Amino acid sequence: MLEIKDLHKRFGDTVALDGVSLTAAPGEVVGFVGANGAGKTTTMRIAMGVLAADSGRIVYDGAPLDVAARRRFGYMPSERGLYPKMKTAEQIAYFGELHGMSRAEARRSAAALLEQLNLTERAGDFVQDLSLGNQQRVQLAVSLVHDPEALILDEPFSGLDPIAVDVMGTALKDRAADGAPVIFSSHQLDLIERLCDSVVIIGNGKIIAAGSVEELKAKEVKQLRVCVQTAQDLTGAFPGTVTRDGDDYLVEDADDQEVLRIAAAAGRVTHFAYDQPTIAEIFREAVTR
Amino acid sequence: MSAQIPETSRLRGLMLVAGREIRVRGLAKSNIISLIVTVVIVGVLAALPTIIGGGDDEDAKIGLTGATAPAMQAQLEAMGGFDITVYDSAADAEKAVADEDVEAAVADGALYSRDGVANDVETQIDSAWQAASVQTNLANAGLSDQEIAGALTVQPLEFVTLESGGASGPLDYFTGLIISIIMFMMLMTPVQYIAMGVVEEKSSRIVEILLTSLKPWQLLGGKVIGLGVISLVNLVAMVAVGLGVTAATGMLGDLPPGTASAAVSTIGWWLIALVLFGTLAGGVGSLVSRQEEAGSVLTPLIMSLTLSYLGAIFLLNAPTSTFAKVLSIVPPFSAIAMPTRMAVADVPAWQIALAIGLLVVAAAGALALGAQLYKRSVLYTGSRLKLKEALRRAA
Repeated sequence: MLEIKDLHKRFGDTVALDGVSLTAAPGEVVGFVGANGAGKTTTMRIAMGVLAADSGRIVYDGAPLDVAARRRFGYMPSERGLYPKMKTAEQIAYFGELHGMSRAEARRSAAALLEQLNLTERAGDFVQDLSLGNQQRVQLAVSLVHDPEALILDEPFSGLDPIAVDVMGTALKDRAADGAPVIFSSHQLDLIERLCDSVVIIGNGKIIAAGSVEELKAKEVKQLRVCVQTAQDLTGAFPGTVTRDGDDYLVEDADDQEVLRIAAAAGRVTHFAYDQPTIAEIFREAVTR
Repeated sequence: MSAQIPETSRLRGLMLVAGREIRVRGLAKSNIISLIVTVVIVGVLAALPTIIGGGDDEDAKIGLTGATAPAMQAQLEAMGGFDITVYDSAADAEKAVADEDVEAAVADGALYSRDGVANDVETQIDSAWQAASVQTNLANAGLSDQEIAGALTVQPLEFVTLESGGASGPLDYFTGLIISIIMFMMLMTPVQYIAMGVVEEKSSRIVEILLTSLKPWQLLGGKVIGLGVISLVNLVAMVAVGLGVTAATGMLGDLPPGTASAAVSTIGWWLIALVLFGTLAGGVGSLVSRQEEAGSVLTPLIMSLTLSYLGAIFLLNAPTSTFAKVLSIVPPFSAIAMPTRMAVADVPAWQIALAIGLLVVAAAGALALGAQLYKRSVLYTGSRLKLKEALRRAA
């Protein structure tokens, strides 16, 4: 269980974080969503210990997160960085060793990741000679080389090609299936929806919405979408607030069973369901509220 | 969950960083090539005296004739390095020179050659001629061989120096010069590479990942150790080749006495100075985020290194001056000045102890300052950090 508790951070006069808390249970994939400058990166940097919070705590399995425990974490910073003049396999293995692996273990793990990422033939090349996409894959390998027991990834999907996105998604799911808490930020909300068990939305340094994907969707559900094959205009017939969306009626603040009765009486009901908002819609709603 | 990964010990982290520097920088093609080039130059320079005096290997072929010939032959053979042929007449000798049977011939008080002879050969032939002439003249005057030998035996001058620690011999001057040059180079190179490495990690943002598993002091310390080892290996390779070639050409005996102890003590001075300059270089390097800005923050360090070197060179010419005494005690100048001064003059033990003490204190201070600077500014990106700001920033 990874708990980020009540983080506050100021940069000069700017309040970057104002009481940010979020939790990732073992095996839970948490999507961290927010506009640019909302405080995602600051939160993750503090969680990884590369930035100090003004106040607040990071707790892992009931104890304050220390250097030794952090070393078993996998981290991908938003600003990607690799040694340009170091060979690919050597570099991945070096990070494995820094995370406490023996040299042999680190080399094995690096080779396995390169294989998985289709980079085996570039193992002996300098990182600076790889394409940007391939450098991203190496970055991914660096964050996974030590078989981390928790993952904190800042925009792990940005700049990845579809194959690497799949590898990354699979890696996240695999780690979560092993019981690792996973927190990642992304602007690709479809990915968040596909991969995450829960979502945390941050805006201006504050958490503005958090919960499982279902919870959030349920909370946002207000509109009943009804489609009836009839010549009548039912706008005035339905209770509540009624708007039209093409041929569909969107009904809010009404008893759904009553709406159904009226619709069935008017003609053949071809669609009757609450609109499931996408995470993107929830996000827009939460941020503009 | 994955098996418990053993915690990276502090020392292991430090050594991993140092090891990476050695592998990536030390074994980089550019470093290997420059080392090979340097080693070849050193080797050639060491072999140069032998190559230039190439005739030494092959005996000079000299023709002799006339009354002094037996005496000259005895003289030249005693000197060694001559292949002597005695001719019956001056004409024969001259013809032998013309036919290139011999390089030169001495006949009737004249030295025949095609186009002159090497200086050292001429000197030897000349002194043999003089000695042989004197010998022949003395023999003609009726002296016995023994009397002649007695008359020709001269004790060489004995050197007596009244003021010890006074004027130094040219050999001491040369040792001092070499020490100051090597110290300068061995500090300048790692200082620049340490700063460059720090900026590289900062500008590529890799430092953010590194600091999740390493402490800033491990990252900085590992760099200083790694680049120190590279410098030392480069130096040892150069010295080994230099000494090896000198030994192979049989000139090793010419090395001044005390060379070995001077080398060991110089390495000691270098180690302290490396901590001093290396940690400061890392500290100031972390103030900037881009490679182009590294030069400006390094300037004060480079300047003080250069001044230390120039001071040491000046000191060589006035090893007993007050300037030399002060310079060799005050850090950071003492790092180069004291070992240089020790090579050319006798330095009171208390001055050496004081210089070491002050330098160690300065190095400890630099370590603390450099590490603090590094810790506080290494994650700060953007425009260059002012020194004051960096020190004010919370770590």
